[in-house]
Amino acid sequence: MTGRGTGASIKGAIMTRVDPTLFRTLLAGKRIGVVSGTNGKTTTTHLLTAALRASVADPREVVTNPDGANLREGVVSALSTRPKAPIAALEVDEQVVADVIRHGRPEVLIMLNFSRDQLDRHHEINALGRKWRQALTEAGDEGPTVVANAKDPLVAWSAQPARKVIWVDLGTDWSQDSALCPNCGSVLGHDAAGRWDCPGCELGEQPCDYRVDGDEVVMPDGERMRLGLQVPGRFNNGNAACALAAAVEMGVYAPVAIRGMRTVQAPAGRFAIGTYGDTKARLVLAKNPAGWAESLLVMESDPVILAIDSLIADGTDVSWLWDVDYERLAGRRVIATGPRSADLAVRLSYAEVAHEVIPDVADALKGPFDGTVDVLATYSVFLRLCRMGGVDLK
Amino acid sequence: MTHKIVVVYQSLLGIYGDRGNAKVLLKRLQWRGEPAELVDVEPGQPLPPDGLIYLLGGGEDQAQIAAVKQLQADGGLQAGLDAGGVLFAVCAGYQLCGRSFTVGENDEVFAGLGLLDVETRRGPQRAVGEVLTRWTRPDGGLELLTGFENHGGFTSLGSDAKPFAKVEIGVGNGTDGYDGAVQGRVIGTYPHGPILPRNPALADYLLELALGRTLGPLPRPDVNAEHDRLRAQRLEVVRTTKNRAEQTR
Repeated sequence: MTGRGTGASIKGAIMTRVDPTLFRTLLAGKRIGVVSGTNGKTTTTHLLTAALRASVADPREVVTNPDGANLREGVVSALSTRPKAPIAALEVDEQVVADVIRHGRPEVLIMLNFSRDQLDRHHEINALGRKWRQALTEAGDEGPTVVANAKDPLVAWSAQPARKVIWVDLGTDWSQDSALCPNCGSVLGHDAAGRWDCPGCELGEQPCDYRVDGDEVVMPDGERMRLGLQVPGRFNNGNAACALAAAVEMGVYAPVAIRGMRTVQAPAGRFAIGTYGDTKARLVLAKNPAGWAESLLVMESDPVILAIDSLIADGTDVSWLWDVDYERLAGRRVIATGPRSADLAVRLSYAEVAHEVIPDVADALKGPFDGTVDVLATYSVFLRLCRMGGVDLK
Repeated sequence: MTHKIVVVYQSLLGIYGDRGNAKVLLKRLQWRGEPAELVDVEPGQPLPPDGLIYLLGGGEDQAQIAAVKQLQADGGLQAGLDAGGVLFAVCAGYQLCGRSFTVGENDEVFAGLGLLDVETRRGPQRAVGEVLTRWTRPDGGLELLTGFENHGGFTSLGSDAKPFAKVEIGVGNGTDGYDGAVQGRVIGTYPHGPILPRNPALADYLLELALGRTLGPLPRPDVNAEHDRLRAQRLEVVRTTKNRAEQTR
C-alpha cells in the first residue's frame, strides 16, 4: 500500500509496461532477503540492509527499496538502480510476497505480523495467510527459510509449510487480532506462560530460536547480544531481532550485523526530527491499532501531538480510534490535529485525557514547545509532515 | 446497584472499534452520577444474567460462527434479555441475532440466535462507506444517524421484526430501504464508526430504554460540543460526497 504514488512506483510502473518480464529478470540470480507483514516492514528492511551492508566491502552490493515502495513497481524500480548488485533486501507488500517467492527464490523471508489494517479494504486477513502457505508449499525445497514471529498465530500458520522456520519472540504483546485458530477456527487458548495453543488442532506456539529481552537479543545458543539501536521502542528491538536472524541465516556474523543495525536512524522518515519554524518535532508513524499501541509507548514529550486523517492511504474508516488505549495518556496534555481531529477529540474525552483541538496541522505545530515535540500521525499526515519539515524519505 | 455494560466477545466481535460503544454508554452513565461498570466477557466465560445493556459488534466470518456457537452453549444472553436487559448488536453481531446468515463465497448457511426475525444472505456487492439514516424514536422524534458500513450480507426482515431506521444515503439492509431491525428489547443495525460516539442521542435512548426512566441532559458541555462538531462534520461529508463507493471507502 505504502508505495502507491511515490516517484519510485511511477518509474517502476513505466518500466514494467515497457518490459513486463523485468520483475522476474531483475530478481533472478540474486541472494534475496524479503521483509513482509503488517507493521514494521520499512524499518526492518532498513535494519536488514544495514546488517548485510556491514558484511560486504562495498555497500552498493546490497540493493534495497528504502522508501517503502513495496509493490511490484517499487521493487522493479529499486532493483533497476543496481541491476548487477548480488544481494537484495526487499520490503514486499503482503499481497506481493507469493510472487516474489515464485520468481525471486529468496533465501530468507521475514514474516513480522498479520494485523487488521485499513478495514475498508482488506476484509479477511486469513486469505493472505492462505496465499503465503500455497507459495511456500509450491516452492518446496527451493523455498526460503522463514523468520517468523512465534507469537502471531496467523504468521505461525502461514510459515508452517516452509522448508525451515526460525522462530522469534519479538517481545511485544498485541493479540487482539488473533482470537481464532487460522487452521481450524477454534477459539485459541493460552497457557500460564502466555504461550498460545489451539485446543482443536495441532497448531500451537513453537519454542523460539531468538528472543528479545529488553535491549538484548538472546541468540539460539543462549548468548545475549546488546542491540543499542538508535530507533526507539520495544517493537523496533523485535524488528531488529528478526533482521538479525535473517542476516545470520544469510551468512553474516552476528556482531557485524548488529554494528550495521546501530547506524539506522530514521528509516523513510520514521522517528526523524522535522523543522517547522521554531518548532522541532519527532515524527512517528502508526497505521493501525497494533501500531498505535506500540507507538504510544515511545511518546515522551508534553504535550504530545496526535494527527489523524482518513484518506485512502490512512484507511477511510477511523473506528480503530476506539481500539487504541488512549487512556494511557491520562495526565499528559494532548493536541489533537488533522482532518479527523473531531473524531479523536470525542475519543480522548471518553478516555478522560485532557486535550486541545487544533484542526490545522501547521497551526498545531506552532507551539511554542519546550524542546522537541513528539508527533504521532497516520500515513498521509506523516508524509505531509516529512515534506513540510525537510525530512528525507529514504 | 451498579449498572453493567456487557461487551460480549470483544476478541471475536470487536473488529470495528465496537468496544467504543460500551465506553460511551459507561461514561454517559458515570458522568450523570449513575454507578456503572464495563464487563468484558470472552468465549468460555459465562455472560452475567443481570446486564443493563449487552453489546455485540462486527467480526469476520469464522469469528461470527464461533460466537454463535459459544453464545448458544452459554445461554446467558437469553437469560439476560428475559431479566429485562437490552441487546444492541452491530454488523456481524446484528446478522447473528437473526434466524440465519451465510458466510463465504459458497454461501454456506448457518443458524443464528433467532432473537430477531431476520435472515441475511450475500448481497450483489459489498456495502462499504459512510451512511446516513433517519431514525424515528418511539416517542415520535426524528434523529439523523451517521456511521460507516462495511458488510457483504443483505438482510430481509420477517413479520416479527420492525425496521430500525430509514436509509437516506448508503445501503443498510440492502433489501427494503431500511437499516437494521428491532424486536422487543433487541436492536440490530449495520453502521459502526463506532455508532454510539457518532450518535449520542441513540446512546442515551438505549440507556433510557434499559433503565426504564428518562435521563437528564449530559452535564458535560465540553463533550456535548465535541459531539456536535463531529456530527456536523460527518453529516456534511456524507451529504456532499458524490461517489460514495469511491470517495468514502
